[in-house]
Amino acid sequence: MKTRSRSAVQVRSAVLTAVAVFVSTPISASAGQGSPPQTPQVQNQPAQNPAPDLKSPGFQEFSDRVQKYVQLHKSVEATLPKLKATNEPELIVAHQKMLARKIKAVRAHTKRGDIFTPAAKEDFVKAISSEFQGPQAPHAKATIKQGAPLMKVHLHVNEIYPESIPYTSVPPTMLQKLPKLPEEVAYRAVSSDLVLLDVKANLVVDYLAGILPVEAQNGQ
Amino acid sequence: MILRRRFFLIGLFLAFAIAQGADQFKFPLTSNSVRFAVIGDMGTGAKPEFQTADQMDEQRKTFPFDFVIALGDNLYGGHSPADFEKKFAAPYKDLLDAGVKFYAALGNHDDSSERFYKPFNMNGANYYSFKKGNVHFFALDSNYMDPKQVDWLQKQLQSADSNEWKICFFHHPLYSSARKHGPATDLKLLLEPIFVKYGVNVVFAGHEHIYERVLPQKGIYYFTEGSSGQLRAHGLDRSSITAAGFDTDRAFMLVEIADDQMYFETVSRTGTVVDSGVIQRQRAASIAKP
Repeated sequence: MKTRSRSAVQVRSAVLTAVAVFVSTPISASAGQGSPPQTPQVQNQPAQNPAPDLKSPGFQEFSDRVQKYVQLHKSVEATLPKLKATNEPELIVAHQKMLARKIKAVRAHTKRGDIFTPAAKEDFVKAISSEFQGPQAPHAKATIKQGAPLMKVHLHVNEIYPESIPYTSVPPTMLQKLPKLPEEVAYRAVSSDLVLLDVKANLVVDYLAGILPVEAQNGQ
Repeated sequence: MILRRRFFLIGLFLAFAIAQGADQFKFPLTSNSVRFAVIGDMGTGAKPEFQTADQMDEQRKTFPFDFVIALGDNLYGGHSPADFEKKFAAPYKDLLDAGVKFYAALGNHDDSSERFYKPFNMNGANYYSFKKGNVHFFALDSNYMDPKQVDWLQKQLQSADSNEWKICFFHHPLYSSARKHGPATDLKLLLEPIFVKYGVNVVFAGHEHIYERVLPQKGIYYFTEGSSGQLRAHGLDRSSITAAGFDTDRAFMLVEIADDQMYFETVSRTGTVVDSGVIQRQRAASIAKP
């Protein structure tokens, strides 16, 4: 069935000719070929919504509490052997589990809202509402919809993120408008919840329930 | 409007030229060329993954590639040590034993801890770059395109040698005609202007469990290869952007870059060549400088 023949010369010259025509038009001024029918039309414009004020009291409080959490994370991690790239997955898994176990123990009395405080929640609601009502809304909604898991996921603060549940991409345009996070933690979207995840410990640090507009659940 | 029509015609011509070349395709196997394979969505640990890996090994006898780029969903389900073994180390054992290196990107089913798994060559980073010959590769984490990663990508591309190929690979496709997910349009809003600005030549993505080659979009070639373990049979809804596709069996790609030409072949689990062609590197002369 393989169709390899001896000469690629004809193809090569045809392609070279095409490319010669192609490069005569500046790439930056060119237009794409359009999108499949089911695709929202993409304008490739920067977000038009006003950027949220990342120095607002709610976001500031959130960032301060994230910093405190990260300090705790680092102090716990410092008690473990440093994890480097390894051929032995046992070491990777053991490190993650041990880190999670120790952080859980230190934060045994933490509860939902300790980091996403009421003031922070208010700012997140504003920023996310703005994102999902602006010109980028169809794309951001599509991102959430594409990744929404079929089943309802029950998250618990200070517990391991369920291993078999795939991650939903956090809409990248939305990420640009939320407070930046240190590398130890990340935002995750799970159904309509916005989760603050400890990525090294795979631990749910805190979450905001029902804040993301999930219109339909679409699997994987 | 005229530009749009012009590009459409050029795209059609390029697709025709590539299609014409399918019957006459041959890798040049140049001594200093960059040769690699492309796999995506493979980490099931099921029989088709093993069979596809075996076919890669078979192909390597006539097309000796040095490394593999993996487009994410490297490990489905659990991430226990046994999962690493069953879903990666065992199926690709022959290739690994032969010294073939794998460079992985993270998919939505991957745990971030995979970046510490040495055989994935991520060196503890969710996103990273590496060079092979005249090709500069950028592995991105499309699960989490935060401002830090965007800044990193822009700086990396900005400082990259304009005489090198620039190839980005990550999990979520910016262009796709597949039924299940479709394109990651929000990601496209952010990344496409950067790719255009800095002259990215080729983009590989997975996520959709099919193979699709898309007509050049704004001068960039996009491939989706997400069927190296998983398969969504008949999941490709060919559209006006589809240049070629395959959705009835598992597949992987073989690529050789020799100077300014990129030769590619997409091979099914049974060894059938389902797509092939040659791409001429786009010159950066018309790409805006920062």
